[in-house]
Order: sequence, then C-alpha cells, then structure tokens
Amino acid sequence: MKKILAALMATVMMAICLAGCGAKKPDSDMQYVKDKGTLLVGITDFAPMDYKDEDGKWIGFDADMATKFADSLGVKVEFVELADWGKKIMELDDYQVDCVWNGMTLNEEVLNGMETSKPYCKNQQVVVVKSDVADKYSTKESLKDLTFAVEDGSAGQDVVEANKWKSTALPAQSDALKEVGAGTSEACVIDLLMAGAMIGEGTSYADLVRTVSLTEEDYGVGFRKGSDLAEELNKFFKACYDDGSLMQIATTYGVQKTMVEW
Amino acid sequence: MAVLEIKDLKKSFDNTEVLKGISFTVEKGEAVAIIGSSGSGKSTLLRCATDLEKADSGSISYNGKYLVRDKVYAEKEEKSEICSCFGLVFQNFNLFPHLSVMQNIIEAPMLVKKVSREDAEKKARDLLSQMGLSGRENAYPCELSGGQQQRVAIARALALDPDVLFFDEPTSALDPELTGEVLAVIKKLADSDMTMVIVTHEMAFAKDVANKVIFMDEGVIAEEGKPEDLFYNPKTERLKAFLHNASY
Amino acid sequence: MFETVLQALFEGFSKSLEIFVLTLLGALPLGLIISFGSMSRFVPLKIFTRGLVWVVRGTPLMLQLIIFFYGPGLLLGTNIWGIGSQGRFVAVIVAFILNYACYFSEIYRGGIEGIPRGQYEAGQVLGMNKGQIFFRIVLPQVIKRIVPPMSNEIITLVKDTSLARIIGVYEIIYFGEKFIKSNGIIWPLFFTGIFYLLFSGVLTLLFGYIEKKLSYYKV
Repeated sequence: MKKILAALMATVMMAICLAGCGAKKPDSDMQYVKDKGTLLVGITDFAPMDYKDEDGKWIGFDADMATKFADSLGVKVEFVELADWGKKIMELDDYQVDCVWNGMTLNEEVLNGMETSKPYCKNQQVVVVKSDVADKYSTKESLKDLTFAVEDGSAGQDVVEANKWKSTALPAQSDALKEVGAGTSEACVIDLLMAGAMIGEGTSYADLVRTVSLTEEDYGVGFRKGSDLAEELNKFFKACYDDGSLMQIATTYGVQKTMVEW
Repeated sequence: MAVLEIKDLKKSFDNTEVLKGISFTVEKGEAVAIIGSSGSGKSTLLRCATDLEKADSGSISYNGKYLVRDKVYAEKEEKSEICSCFGLVFQNFNLFPHLSVMQNIIEAPMLVKKVSREDAEKKARDLLSQMGLSGRENAYPCELSGGQQQRVAIARALALDPDVLFFDEPTSALDPELTGEVLAVIKKLADSDMTMVIVTHEMAFAKDVANKVIFMDEGVIAEEGKPEDLFYNPKTERLKAFLHNASY
Repeated sequence: MFETVLQALFEGFSKSLEIFVLTLLGALPLGLIISFGSMSRFVPLKIFTRGLVWVVRGTPLMLQLIIFFYGPGLLLGTNIWGIGSQGRFVAVIVAFILNYACYFSEIYRGGIEGIPRGQYEAGQVLGMNKGQIFFRIVLPQVIKRIVPPMSNEIITLVKDTSLARIIGVYEIIYFGEKFIKSNGIIWPLFFTGIFYLLFSGVLTLLFGYIEKKLSYYKV
C-alpha cells in the first residue's frame, strides 16, 4: 500500500514540477511589469494599511504608497485581494500578483520566499482579551494558561508557538478577533495596527482591549524572489521620505509613529 | 347470520354523493357479482366495505359485529378482529415488489397472525399449488406475468383465511389473453363455496359464477337478484341499456 | 519528508473521516424524522419543518458553521461551546448533521411520496399496522429509490468536510496548507486531492454495489 502511494505521489510531484518549470520567467521583473503596464498589488482588508473607502476604492497607507510607486514606474496600479494570506508566496510565484504590500511582517518565511524591501514600519504583536478580565492578563507570565486564537501563518502564531501556548489557527486576523468576541478563545494575538483600528469604543468589538505587547517586528513589501523591483522600491521610499510625502501620507492614516527613518 | 351486512351506506366526495344509501347482505358461501358502469359507485362500495374509505353514514357489519354504525367505528382491537374477516384483491394486484412470491404471501400471516414461518410457508405452498403456481415461490413479482401476479395476490389474500373475499375488477388490468387463468381460479374458489364479492366488467363470468348479481347505477342498487333474472329478464331501462352496451 | 507529510495528512484525513461518519450517523435518521415533519398533516409542524429546510438549504454551510459556533457568543453573549478543540468539533458535527439531515429529508420525502398508494392499502387490508407497513413495505422500496440521489449527497459530504477548517477544526486541507506556510512546499496541499479521490472512489464503488444488490426487483 505504501509503495503504491509512493508511486502515486511521485507522479503527482513530477506533474506539479513540470507545470512549474513550464512557466516563463522574464529576466527583469521590473521590465515585465512595465511591459504589461499594471502593477498587481496583493493585499487583504487590513485597516489602516489597506482598506476600502465609501466608494469602494482601496485606500490606506500601503495602498496610497503602492499607487504612488506604480505612478513612478509609469504603470497602472491594480489591487488584488488575497483569498488566503497563508498562500501569498504561491500567489507571487504564480504571477497572480507582482508584490505583497499589506503590512507584511518580515519573518523567516517571507524573507526566504520573497525578495523584500527594507523595513518601512515597525509593528508589534499584541494580546487582545475581553475588557473585564484585562487586569488579570497584564503581564506576559499571566498569559501561559490562556487559549489563543491566531491567524494561521501569521507573526502572532509564531509568537504563540514559540511560547508553547495553546492556540487555534484560523484563516484571518479578523477571525481571531471573532473568537475572542464570541468567547470561544480567551485571547488572540494580532498586529498592533489591526488592533488599533478594530477594537475598543465605536467598533464591533467594544468590549475587547489590548494588553501585552509581545514582539516588535518590521513591515516590508515582498516581491518575487530575485525581483529587481525590491531595490527600486527602496530608492522610492528614500525619495519619498526625503521630500516629506511619506510622512505626510503616514500622518493621514495615523501611523506616523511607527515609521522607520530612511 | 349473514357474513356481511351493509345498511343504508352513504358516501360523498367533495359534495358529490357517490353512494346514496346502499343495503345488501352476503350469506356464507355466496358469490355476489357487482356490475354497473364506471362511476356508478362499485369501487367506492368495495373500498368502504374494506375500510379503505370511511363511510359517511349507515352501517357495515361482519358476522354480526359492526365495523361502523352511525359514523362510529369499532375500537382499535375489535376493528382489527373485524377486518381479519375479509380480504381484498386489487385491480392492480399491489404485490410488494421487493418481496418474493413466498414472502408476499407469508408476510402478513407471520406479522399479523403470528403464525410460525414453517406453518405459513406450508400453507403458502398449498395455496400456490391451488393457483397453479407451484415452483414460483422464489420469483419476484416483476418476473411474473400480470395473470400470475394476480393469482399470487389471491393466494396472499387467502393466506389469512378470510370469511369473505372482495375482488375489485380483478381482470381489468390484464391483457385479454391473461384474464382466463385468473377467472378460472376465482371460479374454482366459488365452486369450493368461498364467500366472495366480485366487482367485474366480465358479464359472462358474472353470469357463470355468481349466485347473486347486484346492478349499481348512480350510487344506488338499481336491481339485484339471481343472474338468470337480471341477465335475461332485466326490469329497469338502465340495466337493459347497460347490458346492451356491455359487449358479452 | 514524504513520510512526514503523509503522516500529517493521514492525521487530517482521520479528522475528515470522523466528521463524515458522525454526520452520516446523525443525519440519516434525523433526515427521516424531518421528512415526516414536512409531510405531516398537522399544518404548523409542516410549515415549521419546511421553513427549516428552506433556511438550511438556502444558506451556505460555511455560514451555518460560523453562526453555530460564533453566534451564541457574539449575538447572545454566552459561548456554549467552551474553549478548546472539543467544542469546535461538536459545533461542526451539529451544523453538519442539521445541514445534511435537511438535504436527506427532501430525498426521503421524494422517495416516500413516490411509493404508490396501493402499497399502503395492500398492507392495510392484510391487517398490518402503520409501523409494519412503513418499515416492512414502504421503507425497503424507498431505499432502493433514493440510493442514486443519496450517493450524490454523500460524496458531496466527503468534500464539504473541508469547511470545518474555518472554525479551527484541523482537517486534511488544513494540514496540506500547513506545509506551505511553515515549509514553503506546495505539493502536500495538492496531494490532499488524492485522499479525496481515493475515498470518493471507494464510496462510488460501494454505492454501485448497493445499487446492483437492490436491482433484483423493479419498483
């Protein structure tokens, strides 16, 4: 039985490999993007970095910067909503998107699987709990018996697993928040930026608060492995920082304090 | 005491009165043929008598025990005892398609009368041989001709030892060449003094088999009596017209 | 590596199988009960069950999972499922059973209503009671009629088990994706397809066998 499975397996792998090898890879990724005239930007709904305004147009710090970057390349920008954040590298390699620009933590997976820009923003992973128990969980030590909800494949999941805390992995950060709101998990670990926008008074999760900050991390933009666009973006960021337009956009979305100096 | 006595039976469907007061008796050993045109109420009469339809008024009794009297039906236990007095053979046989011939016949005796499988099978074999169907015990209904299916249905009804057996147009669904074998079986039953009530369109058969013939017309019994009288000496215009139109 | 992947996928697949088996065990009898409700002559019951079937068949199973699992906590303020993996699994089973029971109930209803009146009447004049008529005469014939549509639904169920992932029950697709996220290898996800294919293949053969077994008579 095992041998049959192994044989089947080998066939499938070969088929996948052949399919992969068959795809044409342009020499210069920047040239490829310029030739087709559009920059496909992979995002998720992640305020305040990428989200839709009342007219359904994508805005946010990342969205605005991506639009500006596409302008500088002389191409149109097109936002592609990623169905599953966990498959973002696959989406790049498959040419479904040209970059992932979505408050993306530069973790090992991303650094290994993509060509990334320099960090442009410093984020934190924070713990969110119900406000009535917030006092009990104000230190990292107090968290060890909690059951966490995390986004599968997220930096939050890495922290939770590194501490060997109990956790449930879900498809999105918003699902992790939903768990805490419903009481099906006691706490979740999500991005500070997300927590800032989605919990507390005036949101759907008025009874949730963030307590402990677990780690700091860098946000960067990811391109296909070996892409020359990463270096181009570094130059672009520096130019925007120097002429003040970067900080101006950051201030619009309230993220100026997390910005990195160039 | 009459095996079956029906008095002033009435039945309506959606304000159409189908039975307008039917009364007759069936004595032990009698074979009664009910004739009449379509829509005259023959089948409804049979369905009321076999408790497949509820009577609006009147009474039906078997061996002196009332199935229904003045709209009041017998209580559950008494009713099932009364209902075990009769059997019914349907126009469309209504054999159970998923059961073999043998299973079709022994199912009810075993379930209802708690007869042992051995006894039920023995009786079934006897009945099948009477029906000329020996050796077909393990066949399924779909493997049999219509005439054979109807003979199995008769055996199935007889397996419960009814006091009176009703036939609802037993040959109407059969190809003409297959009616003979079924009629022959019924004739044999009549010869053995089985009490029977037969709704039929086969006039020659009715004349040959019945001790008594009932002619129904528009929900009433228009004429009844000995077959010779009705067939050769009809009194009413309706019966004359009916017999004239019936091709026999 | 292959061994590691296979082991993980088998772990996920055993969870998928659990969902599959428990759903069938619950939904097959519950569907029959619901079909009785939707054929009831007691009008309020009939309206209620038909309404239930409409709602359950008219909304995605994915949404039902979310409502069953998060609804009590988010909408009513009391989480009934507890914390941890067991409550999630129970929620999945409850939602799946209800969903599939409603689909099955319509198949049963079609099957039962297709049995000719004469079969009931024949049972009645032979003195059988309602239970005997249903279980000895009607149900066996219903089963034969519903095997083809049932096999369709049951094979759909095999694939629907993958929805359990959205409320954090780790079935085979979850484990397949895990390798993309942690190791950056894609083939395990595609390979899960082999599991589904083999399993639905086995089911197809099984249903073919049952259909053949029941072909000794015609209804």
